[in-house]
Amino acid sequence: MKALRTIWLTMALLLLTITGAAGWTGAATAAPASGKTYQIGTDITFAPFEYQDASGKYVGIDMDLMEAIAKDQNFKYEIKPLGFNAAVQALESNQVDGVIAGMSITDERKLKFDFSESYYDSGVSMAVRSGNEDIKSYGDLRGKKVAVKTGTQGYTVAESLAGEYGFTIVPFDDSAQMYDDVKGGNSVATFDDKPVLAYGQNQGNGLQVVEEIEMVKGGSYGFAVSKGQNAELLKMFNDGLTNVRNSGEFDRILANYLGENAKTPATQSTWGLIQESMPPLLKGLGNTLLYTIVSLLFASILGLVFGFMKVSHNRVLRGIATVYVDIFRGIPLIVLAFFIYFGIPQALGFTMPLFIAAILTLSLNAGAYVTEIIRGGIQSIDRGQMEAARSLGLPYRRAMIKIILPQAVRIMIPSFINQMVITLKDTSILSVIGLVELTQSGKIIIARTFESFTIWSVVMVMYLIVIIALTKLAERMERKLRHG
Amino acid sequence: MGKIRVEGLKKSYGTNQVLKGIDIEVKQGEVLCVIGPSGSGKSTFLRCINLLEDITDGRVVVDDKDISDKGVDINKVRENIGMVFQHFNLFPHFNVLKNIMFAPVELGKQSAEQARTTALRLLERVGLSDKADAYPHQLSGGQKQRVAIARALAMNPDIMLFDEPTSALDPEMVGEVLGVMKDLAREGMTMMVVTHEMGFAREVADRVVFMDGGYIVEEGPPEEVFGRPKHERTISFLEKVL
Repeated sequence: MKALRTIWLTMALLLLTITGAAGWTGAATAAPASGKTYQIGTDITFAPFEYQDASGKYVGIDMDLMEAIAKDQNFKYEIKPLGFNAAVQALESNQVDGVIAGMSITDERKLKFDFSESYYDSGVSMAVRSGNEDIKSYGDLRGKKVAVKTGTQGYTVAESLAGEYGFTIVPFDDSAQMYDDVKGGNSVATFDDKPVLAYGQNQGNGLQVVEEIEMVKGGSYGFAVSKGQNAELLKMFNDGLTNVRNSGEFDRILANYLGENAKTPATQSTWGLIQESMPPLLKGLGNTLLYTIVSLLFASILGLVFGFMKVSHNRVLRGIATVYVDIFRGIPLIVLAFFIYFGIPQALGFTMPLFIAAILTLSLNAGAYVTEIIRGGIQSIDRGQMEAARSLGLPYRRAMIKIILPQAVRIMIPSFINQMVITLKDTSILSVIGLVELTQSGKIIIARTFESFTIWSVVMVMYLIVIIALTKLAERMERKLRHG
Repeated sequence: MGKIRVEGLKKSYGTNQVLKGIDIEVKQGEVLCVIGPSGSGKSTFLRCINLLEDITDGRVVVDDKDISDKGVDINKVRENIGMVFQHFNLFPHFNVLKNIMFAPVELGKQSAEQARTTALRLLERVGLSDKADAYPHQLSGGQKQRVAIARALAMNPDIMLFDEPTSALDPEMVGEVLGVMKDLAREGMTMMVVTHEMGFAREVADRVVFMDGGYIVEEGPPEEVFGRPKHERTISFLEKVL
């Protein structure tokens, strides 16, 4: 019993530490002004329009423009770095008030969104791995693979060319992964917005723009709000844009990122990169642990309720619990996350905070497994124990609490810690809805530095340390309990 | 007036009828031994007396109260009926003392202090005073069963049910358990014992019941059932076991 108490105490302490150390979201808030704070969704990895700098601040043309306009029009906003697709979906389901993410104004998008005046005229170019001189035309792509980001102009262009030139499209959700795919040689080329590719090349991301191919004129970037909503915000953006343009500030912003004198990164040692990355990664790890523990707490409550229903004599209760387990064990976590964060708010017309969606997703999923752990634990206790307790005159509930559960819990502990490891790893899946946990923190750093190998190595090691520590704890518990 | 009265007791598991109509009365202080081949329904019969098995049909009346009636608080009834199981069913997470003290304290029958005194007295009575702090897994089978008897007695019941209490024991340990049971019988406890120990039944029982196929085939004083069995099935069973 003492061992049990130690576990709970350790977990509670861990929880307290983490709650103190980590915030719920990785959002940046602008200078306060009167009125509501607008939630602005954006991509996380779309340099030079938006990306996180070494200090963890979101910077880029879009970010600076937003800041300048907000200052000019005196409104408050909060940046939600969700990733492009998630940001667009969040706008559709009114999870955010507006999106600025280097988003091209298209007829299709106009059906769902109201756009501001265009603030940047872009186009799509093709890039290949630095030093690759074999690809000089679309024809050279025949039989090869091309990496593109889903939902972008680059994707549309690639799609329109794929049939004619006989190449295969490999879709990605974020630019860094897409570039890595080209650098790693899986794909030979990528289609992306010209300024983005040019900026990346400047920064030494390992790709080069194929200058022999003319830019496909396309995208004019605009700021978007949900159709028929936030007209006031849209007007402020347009008015602000005009002022910022007239004052020459917008040109300064552009020059800052795209001009001749644009900053190029100082070359950095691997060790320096790791040191610089540690604070955001540790914060990400803190969030990973926080979400794991909070979700497991709720999952335990769900598991207890449904677990007891599963061992009940009442057929209806058993049925309900079985349905719960079947549903949430059967839905892939990523689909559940999308459904809860984007689907439900869109259908019901309300805003779901990210942390609630994240915890709901993990809790419902882990709850199904914990239900089975608890059911298994209770049923593994010999029937004679319940009979002996009942024969002494104990009511069912007290026999359960005093006799069955204390024995069952010992049996459940290893499975429970196993579930803890699984849930901890599963939090990484929630990066798809923009949760800044360890994996997402890694992605954000790579978006800026393009250092996949180093950062993913560090992230792996961090996961391993935590999980191996948990596993060792599980083994010790098991040994201790087995030997009474 | 019987202490326990069983009338037309039937028990089925789905379509499988295990008890096909049992009628019997056990008097205050009587020791009733139930014998019979395995599968005859004798354990099920015993487990119906404290409703560990729910009854399909018929009545079980204890102290003039029909315990199969829905309105009866079965927990109260069970406080008065101790039960000893074939596989002991001691609580492995409690030590011996706690096993015995647990129910009286938990159900508010005794203070922890009183329960402790009672438990130590009962342990002395079953000859295990030195094992108070031991855990069940440190005990031999015979010791476990004696603790189980003490645990049942701690609730100070009027009736004791024994479900094959020596069947899981090594032969050399059977005697110590039967010894404790003999003492109990001498002190006037009302006992129902399902057993394969014919010697014990012959020596201690006031009445022996032979069950087969879900019926009571034959009953009577041990000297009659063992000495002059009337029924053919009783004769063939006794030939096999004696």
